Amino acid sequence: MLALERLSQLFPRICPNKLMSIITKKICLLGDFNVGKTSLVRRFVEDKFSDRYLSTVGVKVSRKSARVQTDTDWQQIDLLVWDLEGNTKFKSITPSYLKGASGSIIVADLTRSSTFKNLNQHIKLFLEVNPKGAVVIALNKADLIPQEKLEQLVENYKSHDFNRIVSIYTTSAKTGESVDIMFDELAKVVTSATRQQ
Amino acid sequence: MDSSKNSSPDSNGGSSSSQLKPIDDLIDLLLGKDGNKPQANQPLNSDPIDPFLDDLVEDSTPQANEEEAIKPEEIDLTLGESNGVEDSLDLSSDDSGLTETWEPRASKKTEQKDQDEPTPKAESESLPQNELQATVDSIARLDLDTKEASTEDLADTVNTLIPLIVELLQFKLDNSRETIIKTVRPVIDRLIEERITEDSHQMAVAIAKILPSAITKGIQLTPEEIARAIAPEIALSIREQIRLDSDAISQTLGPEMGKAIKAQIELERDAMVDALYPVIGSTISKYMVEVVREINSKVESTLSPAGIRRKIQARIQGVSEAELIFKESVGYHVRAIFLIDKDSGLVIQEIQLPGERHLDSDMIAGMLTAIRSFANDCISAGSELDSIDYGDWQIPLEVAGYCYLAVVVAGEPSRQFINKIRQVLEEIVLEHGTAIQNFDGNMADVPPGIQAKLEQLSESEKDKPQKSSFPSKLVVLLVLLGCTALIPWGIVGYRVRNAHSIEQTVATQLDAAPELSVYRLDSEVKRGKLVLTGRVPSQYLRAQAADITQKIARKHELQLDNQIVAVNVPVNPSLIAGEIDRLTNLFNQQPQVAIKTSYRPKTLKITGFIGDEAVGETVYQSFTRIPGIERVVVDTLKQLPLVEQRVYFDSNSSQLNFADNFSKINAIKDLLNRYPQLHLKLNVHGDGRGSNSLNQKLSQERCQNVKTALVDRGIKPARLMIDCNRVALPVSPENDRASWSDRYVSFRAFIPAISTNLSQ
Repeated sequence: MLALERLSQLFPRICPNKLMSIITKKICLLGDFNVGKTSLVRRFVEDKFSDRYLSTVGVKVSRKSARVQTDTDWQQIDLLVWDLEGNTKFKSITPSYLKGASGSIIVADLTRSSTFKNLNQHIKLFLEVNPKGAVVIALNKADLIPQEKLEQLVENYKSHDFNRIVSIYTTSAKTGESVDIMFDELAKVVTSATRQQ
Repeated sequence: MDSSKNSSPDSNGGSSSSQLKPIDDLIDLLLGKDGNKPQANQPLNSDPIDPFLDDLVEDSTPQANEEEAIKPEEIDLTLGESNGVEDSLDLSSDDSGLTETWEPRASKKTEQKDQDEPTPKAESESLPQNELQATVDSIARLDLDTKEASTEDLADTVNTLIPLIVELLQFKLDNSRETIIKTVRPVIDRLIEERITEDSHQMAVAIAKILPSAITKGIQLTPEEIARAIAPEIALSIREQIRLDSDAISQTLGPEMGKAIKAQIELERDAMVDALYPVIGSTISKYMVEVVREINSKVESTLSPAGIRRKIQARIQGVSEAELIFKESVGYHVRAIFLIDKDSGLVIQEIQLPGERHLDSDMIAGMLTAIRSFANDCISAGSELDSIDYGDWQIPLEVAGYCYLAVVVAGEPSRQFINKIRQVLEEIVLEHGTAIQNFDGNMADVPPGIQAKLEQLSESEKDKPQKSSFPSKLVVLLVLLGCTALIPWGIVGYRVRNAHSIEQTVATQLDAAPELSVYRLDSEVKRGKLVLTGRVPSQYLRAQAADITQKIARKHELQLDNQIVAVNVPVNPSLIAGEIDRLTNLFNQQPQVAIKTSYRPKTLKITGFIGDEAVGETVYQSFTRIPGIERVVVDTLKQLPLVEQRVYFDSNSSQLNFADNFSKINAIKDLLNRYPQLHLKLNVHGDGRGSNSLNQKLSQERCQNVKTALVDRGIKPARLMIDCNRVALPVSPENDRASWSDRYVSFRAFIPAISTNLSQ
């Protein structure tokens, strides 16, 4: 009887491991305040949007499961998204929140050029903590910018050179533009990094 | 007003009379034309509607004085026709469209009112005027015909009229809206009522569009009235809704309940307390009763091992015993265990106990890590967050290497448990440190050993909380306890060994004493005393045993406790007799001892003689020692035995008359043989008759003969001493008496001195 109970206790934990290994990855969202980090996460995790601005205090951790296609199979990956408090000139990001992250999405606000300037600083900070981390740039609030201007802005930004930058997206948490694609790509990059190791 | 009153009974009667399709078409047409506009407007903004509503409401009330001031000429103009139109309309009225379009149409009318009213209408009216007149005529005709004509005819007639009526209405509406309002006003309620009875669905659709905004407006304007109107039914409707969908109401109200209760507490604290008291009171009291019962049992068991442990624990931890008891009573249990990567906050391994709500480990781990990081960075760098408490729950955190262990515990975890956590984490880090360091979120890479270790933590707590851990303090305590137990034990052990050797010695020595060897005697060393137990058949043996033991006891500085019991064992009588004989013989071999013993059960009688008092004592003691002899009666003489035999002789003869004296000689011989140490002195007596020399000679011969006779019988001549030179004469010679009794040899026993013996 006892043995059975023990088995059943062990079973649920062991089985998923053996049948299909779940990979969990930590991902951080970085950027200045009010660029839309929380909104991006909200769109990605809950597929919702609200234009009320609520400043994130400290950090908010969310999770979303994604499936990534590998060479042979579909791999399930749990993304733990750390939505960090945006930094202001009075308050910098707590670097220890970044520790152990496999990838990051660094967010800028297309409507505020100052947030572009800070992108590099964020990338540097992240890569200092996680030299092997993957970086995706999200230029957010694309719905507020006309298309032709958008392309120009992106083009301007692309001149910055960072080899760890996987790609640059113009996103809109409001419309959902490129949000899922961006997260999926990051998930893929992060997973393949694991496999190479 | 009067006209409306007149027309309403007519319309009443007419509306029921026919339901002709063409009329529906007509109304649809009207609807299609006018209904479009308001429909487009409505969703965007409800405001335009409101004025018409107001209009309508105002119109039906005795207001609108200004309008009446304008209207008289129009009334004059149109009264007749409008009445006619009214009649025809009413006759054929099904007019679903009318009610529907009424409100939307009103909007158009208001606009038109502003534009059209000032303009004169005479010229535009001139053309249709004639047509109207014709229609009226035909209707009049129709009225006349009605009585004779069939219903079909009537319908036909009306059908032909319809296009006209449409046009007419349109025209009329365009031009004299007020009039229409006036004429229709009195019958609106009826119209609506009728319409509802006919096609309630359509009606509902129609009203539904404006109902929300109407209610909103109503609430804005007269909230109290709306409240009054709705109030009685709210309870009922909620009940109904609950019946239909029991979850809906609770889902709706649920989120607000907390706020509501809070607000109520702010408003009327006491009322809430009163309301909740019966529930909370009994819940708490039930819980407390259990706790108190537990505490009671713990207090009762103060002297049990657990109680003592608690006392010591209280001392060590510096908390009151009561607090510990309470903690133990309230208890604690593990709910979940998480091994978390320190940097990334990813869960390396988790255990959640069954029967609890499943916790989202990833989120918890993430947040815990964030909190840890925050505390590390912002509060105090370098120190660690030990534990997170919330309400009844505690999450002790133990950090080591690249990971930390978070254990979600309900209640207050014991110190031992915290130590156990530490220990388990240490073991995990030692064994799987590298795997943890390289952990990159892939569960497949986690060594299975970790799971087992964590499980051990959860199990040990559940099954054997006491044994779960041996923290250092407890170990010290145990060692101390061990020492206090072991040292006396060692001392006792030494003493026991010592005592054992003493006992051994005693046993050997007792064995060595031949008299005691046959008896089982036990010796035991107890509290500084050497206790002798066992049974011996006599006091003497008891004393002897005591004697032997006493020496040993003195050597080891022990006090002797002689508990040997001298019991009277029935001894084999033959053995006793043998022993008595042996001793008797033994003693009789001593000089001056000639004893006889006679034994009757338990009593020994010693007779005979013992020349020396000291020897007599020895004899007595010796016989006393013989087992089975309880009493020794000594009846001995201190003198030597008297030899009473006398060997008589014939007168003038020295010849021994053997026939007479044979027995005497034998007796003497026996005596001598019996007392080998005994010597005899022979004395001769004479009768005094005759000469002295003869007597002397005879006496000498007589002595010699007796001696010879005895020697002949095996007696050593040395034991016989002749003293025959001096003849004893009778003390008082009596002539009359036979003289033979004076002629004899007598014997006197004596024991020669030792030197004599030696010389022998």
